[in-house]
Amino acid sequence: MIPRRIRTVMIAALAWFGANSLMRAQNAGRPPDLKRGAVIAAQGTAAGAPACAGCHAFNGGSDASGAFPRISRQSAVYLASQLHDFATGVRASAVMSQVAKHMSPDDIADVAAYYAAVDAPLLPLKAGDSALIKRGELLATVGSAEKQIPGCNNCHGPGGAGEPPSIPYLAGQYGSYIASTLHLWQQGYRKSNPQGMGLIARSLDDQDIAAVSAYYQHVPSSLVGDIAEY
Amino acid sequence: MATRLKPVDAVTIGVGLTGSLAALEIAQAGLTVVGLERGAARYTVPDFQSPPIHDELRFAVRKGLMQDNVKEAVTFRNYSDQTALPIRRWASFLPGTGLGGSFVHWNGQSFRFQEADFGYRSHILQRYGQKFLDACGPELTIQDWGVTYAELEPHYDRFEYLLGVCGTAGNIQGKIQPGGNPFEAPRAREYPNPPMKETYFGAIFRKGAGSLGYHPYPQPSSNLSRPYTNPLGLKLQQCVFCGFCERFACEHFAKASPQTTILPVLLKNPNYELRTNCQVLRINLDSTRKKATGVTYVDDAGREFEQPAELVLVTAFPLNNVRMLLLSGIGKPYDPRTGEGVVGRNYCYQTTGGATVFMDENININPFMSSGAPGTMIDDFSGDNFDHSKLGFIGGQYVGSIMTGARPIEFHPTPPGTPAWGQEWKRAVARHYNHTILIQQHGTSTASRLNYLDLDPTYKDAWGQPLLRMTFDFPENDIRMSQHVADKVVDIGRAMGGKIVVRGGTKRPYNTTIYQSTHNAGGAIMGSNPRTSVVNRYLQCWDVPNVFSLGASAFPQNATYNYTVTIGALTYWALEAIKNRYLKAPGPLVQA
Repeated sequence: MIPRRIRTVMIAALAWFGANSLMRAQNAGRPPDLKRGAVIAAQGTAAGAPACAGCHAFNGGSDASGAFPRISRQSAVYLASQLHDFATGVRASAVMSQVAKHMSPDDIADVAAYYAAVDAPLLPLKAGDSALIKRGELLATVGSAEKQIPGCNNCHGPGGAGEPPSIPYLAGQYGSYIASTLHLWQQGYRKSNPQGMGLIARSLDDQDIAAVSAYYQHVPSSLVGDIAEY
Repeated sequence: MATRLKPVDAVTIGVGLTGSLAALEIAQAGLTVVGLERGAARYTVPDFQSPPIHDELRFAVRKGLMQDNVKEAVTFRNYSDQTALPIRRWASFLPGTGLGGSFVHWNGQSFRFQEADFGYRSHILQRYGQKFLDACGPELTIQDWGVTYAELEPHYDRFEYLLGVCGTAGNIQGKIQPGGNPFEAPRAREYPNPPMKETYFGAIFRKGAGSLGYHPYPQPSSNLSRPYTNPLGLKLQQCVFCGFCERFACEHFAKASPQTTILPVLLKNPNYELRTNCQVLRINLDSTRKKATGVTYVDDAGREFEQPAELVLVTAFPLNNVRMLLLSGIGKPYDPRTGEGVVGRNYCYQTTGGATVFMDENININPFMSSGAPGTMIDDFSGDNFDHSKLGFIGGQYVGSIMTGARPIEFHPTPPGTPAWGQEWKRAVARHYNHTILIQQHGTSTASRLNYLDLDPTYKDAWGQPLLRMTFDFPENDIRMSQHVADKVVDIGRAMGGKIVVRGGTKRPYNTTIYQSTHNAGGAIMGSNPRTSVVNRYLQCWDVPNVFSLGASAFPQNATYNYTVTIGALTYWALEAIKNRYLKAPGPLVQA
């Protein structure tokens, strides 16, 4: 492991400069309003976006169906960038595009900041297939020589804890969500990073996807809250 | 007693850049090849993955990927009247060890040399005359390479496409190209990939240098700007600017190395066998001493083996190529008193240094987001790109803003006058960390009869063999050159908006405790005369024609640029001669 302090300093520095420049571009110096974000999460926007809590729960833990991702403690910069991508079609989703199109830049900034700050307990889920998890761990930590792909954790952080501001955590994320979104990357419905995440997703087969999804659902996300604060 | 193994056609001593490249060529030609690597086997998956590979303390500070100098050091002195002492901690230069060699921890800075570099002596004499050269320093022993740029061009091209080098061509078949380096030697076609995205520090350098009338261009890089499949079918990925490149291995398949561009194909070739943790002690010669019979090595259990081979390729780090020839008694060792002998002669290095530019606090450089070759640079002062006739020196340096990661342990820029520790130092680091730009100077190292390599009379390695002894200081010519460029760099720093610009440039004496460059060159040089060179123009030993010494040890002097791509081109050039001529009729390819 890399000395934790060093990592923290670097992540702090990255988050600070990265987040700063993004905020400036979108909000002209207006700090995000968490209370307003909470209202949007609970009630939606006047322009017609439904309440986020309807699917993602008020605490961002979503539900055990795994149809919707956990967004609690996810990086605000990442959440905001995804909402912008939904609105513009860079990330295609029949449901989320309609939601995001009815949110102003301030709505997005506020609700992203709200969910980045709120805790949700991990729901008790059925234990996964241990052989599958083992295989997923290998892909997550060291990658595959045969497919010439690096381990997921190189970008998504040790244990999949995320590398905020721009790279989301995977630890504790619902396996069925990870699997479905990897398929969307493969099929080009997510276009924000075709030469990075797109290429890697296309190198994975269905077995690989099942394995990494099972692995990250199973990894305790104890690291997540710790670094998402930046 | 050494165990005698089954003979093979060829053996390589070292499996790094030249060792893997040469072995692939020969194995594909149908010959059996054994690669002997002194270090461990290691691969992108699982060995180079992060977070462990991003351990700055282990790899950058403690030099985790380098030659183990407890077992095998180099002794050093500035002058031949001093007693050399072993370098017990690498600092000035960093010879790699392990599968892939130094081609794993390199930065990916991927230049070609210039046309004039290859006929250097002839070029200097023609342009400035003998009197001028003598005035630069009577001790200078520059030579022509015996090979021309035009002969190497197809091999440069082939090697660049193997690596997937990213850049903007400056000169395609003599036609100057917009956006590239107008001083570049003509290339047959564009780089295989577009240049890396320009960094903020690069953009500031471009503006400053451009305002003074210089010619900024993007540094050619073997950290990839986009996914690429090389001619061997191996896939490279896009660099993510992680900031851990030089001194580290790449986890992302984004830096060209033997692991990413050569080995997966080589290791599948049935004619090839890799043996790691095998320390070659010597090349064995027959009773005529004009023919090698193979090599003797020791494995990690201490067992000694003799590996007979028809062809021996010396493919170690340049310093170790020279040492292997000396330990094996191949070629006459150089004697600095008489100037006779060749092995160890014309050991050269690289002139480096540069300016530190302290910027205003509202300029956020974010230097931690970087690759190994992220620079924006100029060639206006490289090699012989400017008129030296009134300057009293030969050679030059490229100048560029190249910041490769600004990692937390080692990057703490503070202006002159700042205390070296304590609260004030901390405050200064916090103030300047994100607002400081480094400008590199990187250039020629001129050969001198005073600088050479030989075997140390006192110190031995873990196997009881003499260490290599380095006798080196920068010739006065190189100091004058570097200081001339340093003045120009201060002007550039000011034009970039620097509040404080700290002047750089090379100084004497050469000091091995400060990192400068891992471009050790010469010592087993190529040429057209056996009295002044160890190998002929095909890198074949004059004295023992079935031994070829590949790599930068063959450079008669060092040119302006980072040398990896030239090593690759020269290896392909030598291998073409070996495959097409030597294997058909083994014997000298050039008559002495």
